[in-house]
Amino acid sequence: MSFLDTKPGVALMEGDTLARHYTVGGGFGKPTASVKALDGVSFSLEAKKTLAVVGESGCGKSTLGRQLTLIEKPSSGALKINGEAVGNLSEKDAKLFRRTVQMIFQNPYGSLNPRKKVGQILEEPVLLNMEKLSRKERQERVRETMSKVGLRSEFFNRYPHMFSGGQRQRIAIARALILEPKVIVADEPVSALDVSVQAQVLNLMMDLQDEMNVAYVFISHDLSVVRHIADDVMVMYLGRVAEKGPTEELFNRPLHPYTRALLASAPKIDPAHRVKSDPLTGELPSPINPPSGCAFHKRCPYATEHCAQVRPELRVIEGREVACHRVEEIF
Amino acid sequence: MALLEVKNLTVEFGSENNPFRAVDSVSFSVERGEVLGIVGESGSGKSVSSLALMGLIDYPGRVTADSLTFDGEDLLRMPARKRRNITGKDIAMIFQDPMSSLNPCYTVETQIMEALKVHEGGNKKQRRERTLDLLNQVGIPDPKSRMKAYPHQLSGGMSQRIVIAMAIACNPRLLVADEPTTALDVTIQAQIIDLLLKLQSDSDMALILITHDLALVSEAADRIQVMYAGQLFESGPADGLFAAPRHPYTQALLEALPERSEGHDRLRTIPGVVPGAHDRPTGCLLSPRCRYATDKCVSTQPLVEDYYGRDVRCFYPLDDNGQPTGRTV
Repeated sequence: MSFLDTKPGVALMEGDTLARHYTVGGGFGKPTASVKALDGVSFSLEAKKTLAVVGESGCGKSTLGRQLTLIEKPSSGALKINGEAVGNLSEKDAKLFRRTVQMIFQNPYGSLNPRKKVGQILEEPVLLNMEKLSRKERQERVRETMSKVGLRSEFFNRYPHMFSGGQRQRIAIARALILEPKVIVADEPVSALDVSVQAQVLNLMMDLQDEMNVAYVFISHDLSVVRHIADDVMVMYLGRVAEKGPTEELFNRPLHPYTRALLASAPKIDPAHRVKSDPLTGELPSPINPPSGCAFHKRCPYATEHCAQVRPELRVIEGREVACHRVEEIF
Repeated sequence: MALLEVKNLTVEFGSENNPFRAVDSVSFSVERGEVLGIVGESGSGKSVSSLALMGLIDYPGRVTADSLTFDGEDLLRMPARKRRNITGKDIAMIFQDPMSSLNPCYTVETQIMEALKVHEGGNKKQRRERTLDLLNQVGIPDPKSRMKAYPHQLSGGMSQRIVIAMAIACNPRLLVADEPTTALDVTIQAQIIDLLLKLQSDSDMALILITHDLALVSEAADRIQVMYAGQLFESGPADGLFAAPRHPYTQALLEALPERSEGHDRLRTIPGVVPGAHDRPTGCLLSPRCRYATDKCVSTQPLVEDYYGRDVRCFYPLDDNGQPTGRTV
């Protein structure tokens, strides 16, 4: 039985207490330290759905993205596709895995090889993964995908530098889509783009989801984008999940103090939507030396002695998972 | 009289015969104690106009203006030495990326004290005290030990606070902040904007806030100016500008925000991209992307005109219902 077979009642992609620890330091005479960039994150993603991962820089959201695509192997925990763990795949299976899970990166200026033409960039994954196709069939496939993402076929022989940021991101999306993956991990796909172009790319991503039934893991720091595109949201803080739940409920009634603070700090264009609260003080603590107890307690207006000592685990409250000791008291 | 008065500022690059206008006849003014927000997409000329204001456009760029008056004195027609005394002291600037605007080789203390030494003088002890004062003022915890820190030892938010401390060191009357929070996280962004606005109101300083974030200017600015491809498209008091935009571009920008579209519907987009150096359209620069464009828009360039208290560059400014006026199809 392969991880490619869908099974009823089993999520398409599942993370079970995924962790990634890096060792840092260890220079001349210095002690080494362990950075818990990702520390026990669990989630599940259904087919055709979008899971958004939000948080500040350093919260581990990009590290999570790298584990999900097996660019790096998690230090512990298991990543499952259709219920099958994919941690120790044979080389052949790993190749199949990569066809199933593709990635889009943040910066379309950095993620495309400037010395290759668009056609070559898009042809490469096909060449590597569908050996049976003839050159003509490959190019046919490339052109088909290009038209899907709104690139004209005369772009086939152009180089990436001839395109604007939005069009380059379309090329990156086409490259991720060309193998017809089940899951696309998109790491800040629109944060390098202007508002008007951002809207074009978001629309494209949603259209492609309808058309090709692909599921997205959408990593972003932009809450209004997330609210628009995601079905579920996972808020991360210092390598752990602070709150996780359906998008609308989470935005309408954030339970975790950090989620509330995050929503309150984002500027709003309509005065009516503004949430008034005091801005968070302080900054994200260092993951090398995380605070005891709840990682958020030093910045949390509701923190008590208990929060400083005992780390809160995720609990189910109102159909959502929240990692906070005092949810019931605060609300 | 306004603190800063800019009339027909133009910045050109490229050859004399075939110049590229990065900023095209932009006029604006800033009053004492006012926050002016300048918004636009990349390539709209918002950063170049602020660099021109600071005198930071180098050859081969050419800056021309009918007048560039700061506190009654024309910056463009004064000796370079005199202008240098004003910029950095009375007009200060904060750049987008705090990490690259600090010198990695010197401590925070040295860098702030350098600005003080040039403009304020005083002995080393006084300058050191003032530096400590400034770090306190911008909310740096444990300023005594942070004075000896190098930029790489500071987080993004902390570096931006240092840059702000440096900018306000000589009590400027005008602070130009070019995307001061773009490189920062939202919670830190909120802190930095709060800090800037507090400093601004405490000292009655004028602030020009340049950003691509519409929501940010709508919260922070008194007056807003929308730029596109080097031109001023709409400007007016912040109250109401985004509630009832008069220019089709402002309207389209707002509609492209995910915030403005409820539920999972498609976002309304602006087709195409901001024109670059080589694909400037004729007539109105927005005409290829504007949904209301007519033949007149394609052939003739509209001028900035007053429309119910707003400056709008459009033949068919929008009414309260967001419909173009005076347009016959």
